[in-house]
Order: sequence, then structure tokens, then C-alpha cells
Amino acid sequence: MDLILKARNLTKYYQMGEVRVEALKDVSFDIFPGEFIVVLGPSGSGKSTLLNLIGGMDVASSGEIYYRDKPLHNAPEKVLTGYRRDAVGFVFQFYNLMPNLTAYENVMLAVEIAKKPLPAVEMLEQVGLADRADHFPAQLSGGEQQRVAIARAVAKNPEILLCDEPTGALDSSTGIQVLKVLKDFNRHYKKTVIIITHNAAIAQIADRIFYLKDGRLDRIVNVTNPVSPEEVSW
Amino acid sequence: MLIRKLLRDIAENKMAYLACVIVIIIGLMTYTAMQMARDNLFIARDQFYEEFHLADGFARVKAIPFTQVEKLQEIPGIDLVQGRLVQDVRVINLDQDKNIYLRLISLADHRPYQLNGVKLLQGSFPGDYERGILPADKFFTAHRLSLGSTISVIIEGKKIDLKITGTGQSPEYVYAIRDMGNIFPDPQTFEVAYIPYGVMESLFNYKGMVNDITFTLKPGYKFEDVEQELKTELEKYGLESLVARKDQASNAMLAEELKGLAKTSTSVPILFLSIAAIILYIMLKRLVESQRGQIGTLMAFGYRPVEILRHYLAYGLLVGLAGGILGGLLGTALSIYMTRMYQDFFSLPDLAGRFSLKYFLAGIFLAVGFSLAAAFQGAKSILTLRPVEALRPPVPVFSKKSWLEIIPGFRAIFTVPGRMAIRNMVRNKGRSFFTFIGIIFTFSTMASIWSMYSMMDIMVLDQFTKVQKYDLKIAFNRPLPLNEVVRELQNNGGIKRVEPLLEAPVTLKNRHLSVEVMALGLMPDAELYTPVDTHGKQIQIPGEGMLLSEQVARKLNAKAGDELRLESIWAKESPVYVHVVAIIPQYLGTNVYMNQEALLKLLQQGQVATAALIAMDKEKIPALKVKYSTSKYISTLEERQQIIDLYNNLMGSSKQMLWIMVLLAAFAGFAIVYNSSIITLSERKRELASLRVLGMRPGEVLEVIAVEQWFIGMLGILAGIPLAYAINKGIASSMSSDLYSLPAITTPPALLLALLGTMLAIWLAQRWVARKVASLDLVDVLKERE
Repeated sequence: MDLILKARNLTKYYQMGEVRVEALKDVSFDIFPGEFIVVLGPSGSGKSTLLNLIGGMDVASSGEIYYRDKPLHNAPEKVLTGYRRDAVGFVFQFYNLMPNLTAYENVMLAVEIAKKPLPAVEMLEQVGLADRADHFPAQLSGGEQQRVAIARAVAKNPEILLCDEPTGALDSSTGIQVLKVLKDFNRHYKKTVIIITHNAAIAQIADRIFYLKDGRLDRIVNVTNPVSPEEVSW
Repeated sequence: MLIRKLLRDIAENKMAYLACVIVIIIGLMTYTAMQMARDNLFIARDQFYEEFHLADGFARVKAIPFTQVEKLQEIPGIDLVQGRLVQDVRVINLDQDKNIYLRLISLADHRPYQLNGVKLLQGSFPGDYERGILPADKFFTAHRLSLGSTISVIIEGKKIDLKITGTGQSPEYVYAIRDMGNIFPDPQTFEVAYIPYGVMESLFNYKGMVNDITFTLKPGYKFEDVEQELKTELEKYGLESLVARKDQASNAMLAEELKGLAKTSTSVPILFLSIAAIILYIMLKRLVESQRGQIGTLMAFGYRPVEILRHYLAYGLLVGLAGGILGGLLGTALSIYMTRMYQDFFSLPDLAGRFSLKYFLAGIFLAVGFSLAAAFQGAKSILTLRPVEALRPPVPVFSKKSWLEIIPGFRAIFTVPGRMAIRNMVRNKGRSFFTFIGIIFTFSTMASIWSMYSMMDIMVLDQFTKVQKYDLKIAFNRPLPLNEVVRELQNNGGIKRVEPLLEAPVTLKNRHLSVEVMALGLMPDAELYTPVDTHGKQIQIPGEGMLLSEQVARKLNAKAGDELRLESIWAKESPVYVHVVAIIPQYLGTNVYMNQEALLKLLQQGQVATAALIAMDKEKIPALKVKYSTSKYISTLEERQQIIDLYNNLMGSSKQMLWIMVLLAAFAGFAIVYNSSIITLSERKRELASLRVLGMRPGEVLEVIAVEQWFIGMLGILAGIPLAYAINKGIASSMSSDLYSLPAITTPPALLLALLGTMLAIWLAQRWVARKVASLDLVDVLKERE
């Protein structure tokens, strides 16, 4: 099977004054289409840096990363923007909705720039918010906001859904709802989902778990029998 | 969807955007109004001049036979010459309280091509030998006359009745002033009227003669090309004046006005658009900063920086369009009003308010251009922002104590919120700077406008309270024996003092520079006409030599000690030489001054006077006027109080305009302070809400913002003081003309008023912000993620 993402010896360091902080060291992995991956690690392990590199938000200091054979590590910003626009859907820990657009309008914001978008109303239905479409973010609960954010990310019909601590700001039952939506998307559309989290409990629903530690990919574990989101508890 | 975001963003801060739009509207309104008014004036003038053939040159002589006038056509360069009679007469049957003069101009008999032709506005031309008269329309209206009624005038000491057959207007008297000594037209007391040559010839006893010549030039010739030959030719007929079209009073005033209008119609709008641009720039910069997270999100899911930039530019576009369109429409309305105002001053029959699509569109372009440029400056940082950086909150600014706090004792002045304000101010240097600029603008504009107020008062009051102190001035038709005149006048009741005055038209030359001016011969002990220096102190008239007014000195590039060449039609021998004793200020009119004896000696004239200045009991003035109103020796009776009233009246409308300018300046100041405060407020919402939670009252919290604005405000005011002085100097020199000069004065009351006005603008802006502070929802604000 074709790889959707391939990384070789990814390294990223930040120069903070005179100190050089190595956020990511020598990370290599392959990800296949339709996989559900959880990247697990404590804070400071390099999770966010990895997410930024995978998402085309930042470029590596050294090493290589490919999306379907297209290099991202040396791509100019223009190419990265195109990649983000067409291939990636982002879900953030703090939802990042436009405060003065309604739920529906937030989804439409993504639909408008996508090549093969999915219907916005349908996406809101899928996350169970069809009746809240006209509400502004401030009128929605955290879980609802995160589901709007997922609908927004999914509506672009991306190849990869990248989620940064999607349940981090939510209580467990709302979190489970959100995970369910992500899992459904993965199953239903056969799209790759990558979740980055420090919450080990979530890892049980993944096909594979990447363990990050001190900026290194410590190990990769294949989950033979992923559990359904409803069975997760934390 | 971004459009909706835009509209809602704007709606959230509508006051701030509204302020910006209003400032643009003001700028655009002045732009379109002035440009359109200027065009209207230009079109009306050119059309009228063209259609009714304004002459290229004007000459006045004592008398010249018609046959000789035609001969002038032989001078190379002269195209067409026409002679006519021109004579000022007193009108006695209209308003008894006023001295009313009409300039009678003879109507040519059926010439096919009439120079300075008369456009018939009402009624009909009088018959060739009919004692009919065609006054200017403004005179007709000002005195509520009707066709067929009679105007009685004094000609050669006799009362003559003239029947009004109609009204007319010629391009020669679009701006009808008696001479260059009058700045404003007053149709109540002076206008022109047309009368058949045949009638005028017999009334004034000019058999086959004329006293005024107008001519046009052949293409390719300039006035200077024919001036010398014409002068020589006319001197034997008693040449009194010879002026080119550009120096002709009415045309010169009109040209001056158009020039001024052209200047202000670009500078004032640019000023306001710049202020609007500054506001917009601050607002967008702040918007982009505060929406960093949103920008990052948009970038994360693939919006291109250019698309995001375009979104933020749309704020500018929208503001620019709104301001441009509204400003253009209001400007058109204002231009119609302005044009109507010009109709009061300039009698241009074709003058009408017109809508001009050109300026309307140009205005919108200008507004949108300025707004987009400002928006781009404010938002361009997006282009270089990387998505990861955008998503990360901005790096906290390394906050240290501000440099101001190094000053010993500085800390003690401010409370803790005050210190927060000062640090914020120093940190946001860019924004503080713009607020500073805005305050400077507001303050200096107010200060200079209020100074202009005093300038105008001083111009008039100094002249009429310190210099011209007579109650009544009687000008004679011809020079009269000095002693007899004084004696005659002194015998009237109520007379306190009579001083003879000699007014002689002279041409002064300094090397290649020359100027035509009225020389005043004053008595050494004159009390009724006393030139003063810049400090208002009376100047002693020297026994020998001449005092030049500043304008004359400037034109001749002369200084004290220089020797000038003097020519005069009155001099028995010309030229003679006279030396300059001193240069003195003169705000109204331009003259040179000499001792009366010395001037008479220079001109080799006997003991004569051309006018008498009289101080007398006010109640006795009417009686005196009645007594002399029919005298054939007297050309005009001028009451000082009437002139003062006229000036005050006319300046009233100018002063209204000044008030409007003050309000606009105050609004611009308000808009800048308000916007800058709102930005600080939204930036520091969390901080301020925390202070509220700590138990501070809204007023104390407001202090964090207010201290910053007041501090910058005070600095701006201080910096505005020297600027106000500079502006006033500029105004004084740019508004001064040959006819008058404005003193460059910045008065303490003007500075004080400007200070109060600026403070009021800041205070009002703070009041608006205070309401926002009071309505901060603490729970909401603190819940929000940073």
C-alpha cells in the first residue's frame, strides 16, 4: 500500500537566545491511508512540534518528511499552504472557532476553500449539532464547540485529520463523544486520523500508538484489538 | 464567510469605525465641495468673460476725444479700443443713513462687438437719449427697487432723476468694489449702473469725449508690449491709471479667490484623510494583533496569507467606500451651498451649483486609496507571519520600568494604575506616537483658527481705532485750497477737529521694481490719521522722506535709507526722488505716507488737499451730510462707523466657517483619542477585569487608560504650541495680498481656548470609554482564553 506520510530522521530545534532546545530528535515513521494513529507523550515530549511538522505548519531543522512522495521538509510556504488547504484538517485543543461566526458559518469557512468539500449541514448533523447551526461559539458548550471544530476540519474532506489534544479541555463523557465522531470519520470515509495527546486512555482506540519521549520516538505499538470510544474511560 | 466576520467585527466596534468614516467624510466633503465650487466658478467666469468680452487693458484719463481713441488702434499689438465715460455719483433718494454710490458707465451706441458687454438680466436697455439707467442686479435687489422707479443722483451739484429700465451685469464688475482699498463688495453702498452715452455726455459735459478706455490685444501680444507706447500717447490727455486685466480690481479679486480655493481644496482634504488613515492604521494593526489566533487558525486550514490580508484590507475598503460615497454626496450638497455663497460675492450670471461625477469618483478613489494604504500598513505583518507563530500567543513584551520612571519623583506622581498606563504608553510607541500626532493636529488647528479670529479683528480694529480715527472723511472731486476747506468745514456745528488730507496717486520705482500706490500726505500733528507700529504705538511722521507700508516695501524690495523714484500725474515735474525713512505695518489697504508739506513740495503743488478728515459729534453727522450731499466739490462722504459695521458684518460669515473648522478639529481629536483608548481597552480587557475583581472601581480602572491619554495629550498640546505659531505665520503670509495683510499673531486666549477644546475632546472620548469599562463583563472576560 502507498504511504500517506513518510518521515525520516526528523529533527527540530529552536534557538532560544544562546540555548538550543532540541524539540524533536531523529524521528522516523510511516503512516498508511485510513490508519488511526495516536501520538502519546507527556508534555515537553515534542508532540506539538511533531504535529506542526506533519501539519505543514513548520519546517524541520533536518530530516525528511513526505506526503504521498511529495517532500514537505524543504517545501516553500506556498506549497505548505496548498498542502494544508487540500490535504489536512486541523482540530485544536481550544477549538479555535471564529468567535463572531455561527457554527454553520465556521464550517462554511472551510468549505469555501476546499476542492471537494463535504456538505456543511451534513457535517453538523454527523457531529449531532444540526439544531445548533445558528449558534455562535459563545453560546455553545466546550464539547459542542469541539464538535463544530471537527465538523469544520472534516468538511474540507481532507486526507489527514490532525487533532491536537482534542479532548484536552473536555470532561470525559464529552471527550468520548468527540472521539466517537473522529472514529466515525475514520471508518466512514477511510481517512487517516492522527491524534496527539498526553492522555494514555485515549490510545486504546488507535490502530497504532506512537510513544514520544524527550523528543524521540520511543516505540511504536500495534494495537491488535482497538476498543471503541465508548469503552474508554479516564 | 469572511465577509460576515468582517461585518460583525465592524459592528462590534462601530463607534471606532464610525469615527474613522466621519473623519473621511469630512475630508472628502471638503474635497468635493471645494473642487466643485472652484470648477463652477471657473466655468461661470470663463463663460461670462468670453461671451461678454472682458477687455485686456483699462486706462483712465481726464478726457480724450472719440476721434483720438480710435487712433490708438494703430499702436502695434492693440486690437480693439473702445472709449466710454465712467463717473461715480452719489445716490440720494434711497437709504438716507448711508452714503450710496453708483459708478455710471456709458453704454455704447449699438456697436456690434462690445468690450465689457452688459448682460441684460431684467427689463430692457434704455433708449439712446432716454434718461434711463440699468443698475447691477445686486444693487437692484439690495435696495428692493422695481423697474420703472427712479434713482436720484447728484451730478455736477444738481439732482438728476434716472428711470430704471432694467438690470444688467458686465464681466468687468463681477466683484464690484470701488477701488483696491475696499476688500468686500457691498451692493448696499456701491455698485455700477449703465446709462446711454448720449445722456451721460450731456449730463457731465463731455461733448464728444470719453474718460475711460478699454482695449483688447492682438494674439501673441502682452500688456507690457503696448504699455509704454499707450502711456506716452495717453499722457497728454491726463492719464490717471493704466492697468492690465490681471490687475483689474474685480478680476484680480476673483483670481485671488480661485487661487485660494485651489490651495485649500487640496490641503484640507489631505489633512483629514491623513488623520483618518492614521486611525484606520492603528485600528487594523490592533485588530490583526488581537486576532492572531484566528489568523493562525485560518492559516492552519489552508487560507493563503494573501487571502487573509485581503480580508483585512476589506475593512479599509469598506470604511473608504462608506466615507467616500457619503463624503462625496455631502460634498456635492455643500458645493451647492458654497456656490450660492459665492453668488453673494461674485455676480456671475452663469454661476450655478453642478454635480460633477469626476470629483465624486475622484473623491471615492482618494478615500479608498488612503484607506487601503492605511489598512495595508496595519495588516501587512500577516504576510510574514508563519502559522505556528500565529497560533502561539505573542511573546510577552519584556516589560521593564519605563525610562520616564528614571526621573526622580516621577513615580510618586502616579498611582499604580497610573504607572501601568505610563508603561503601556512607552511600550506601544507607535500608537502613542499617532495619538500624539492627532492631539498636535487638534490643538494647533484650534489655536490657529482662534488666532485667525483675533487676526481678523486686529486687522479691522487696529486700522479703524488706532489709525483711522476720524468720524467722517470727505473726499473732494479735485484738489481744493487747503486753508479755505478747513475753514469752511470748521464753521459747521458739532465739529471738533478738521484735518486736511492729501491723497496722491504715485508710481514708485526701485531699480526694475515698480508699484502704483496712493501716497497720503499727513499733517505733522495729525490726530485723525495716525500710522502705528507693530506694537500699536503711534509713529511720528518724519519731516522729510517717506514711510512705506510692509507690502509696498516687499514689492519694491526696499528698506529704510533707499532712494525711490517717484512719478505722479500730479507732479509738475516727473520723476522726482524720495528716500525711505521706515517700513511700517498696514493691515488694511496699501499706502505710503509723507509729511503733507513735504509731499506738496515734492509734487510742486500749492497748498491743496484732496480730502478732509473730521472728528465731530455723532448726532451732527446727518446734518453735515445733508448740507454737503449735493455739493459739486465733494465726491464721497465716508463714515467710519459704517465701514466698521460692514467689515464686522462680512467677517461674521467667515467666522462661522472658522467655528465649523474648530468643531471638525475637535472631532478629529476625539476620534483619535477614542480609538486609541478603545484599542487599549480591548487589548487589556483581562488585565482591567482582573483589577475590577481585585476590587477597584470602574473609575480607578479607567485611570489605566486615561492617564496614558492625558499624558500623551499634554505632550501633544505642548508640541502644538510652536506649530500653531508656525501655522499662523503661514496663514498670515499666504492670505496677505496686495490689498490687505493679516498680522501673524498667536494670542494667549487662543492658546487657552485651544487647550480647553483639546481637553474637552479628550475628556469626551474618555467618557465614552468609561461606559465600556463599566460594562465589562468580568466573568466573561476572565473566562476567555488568552
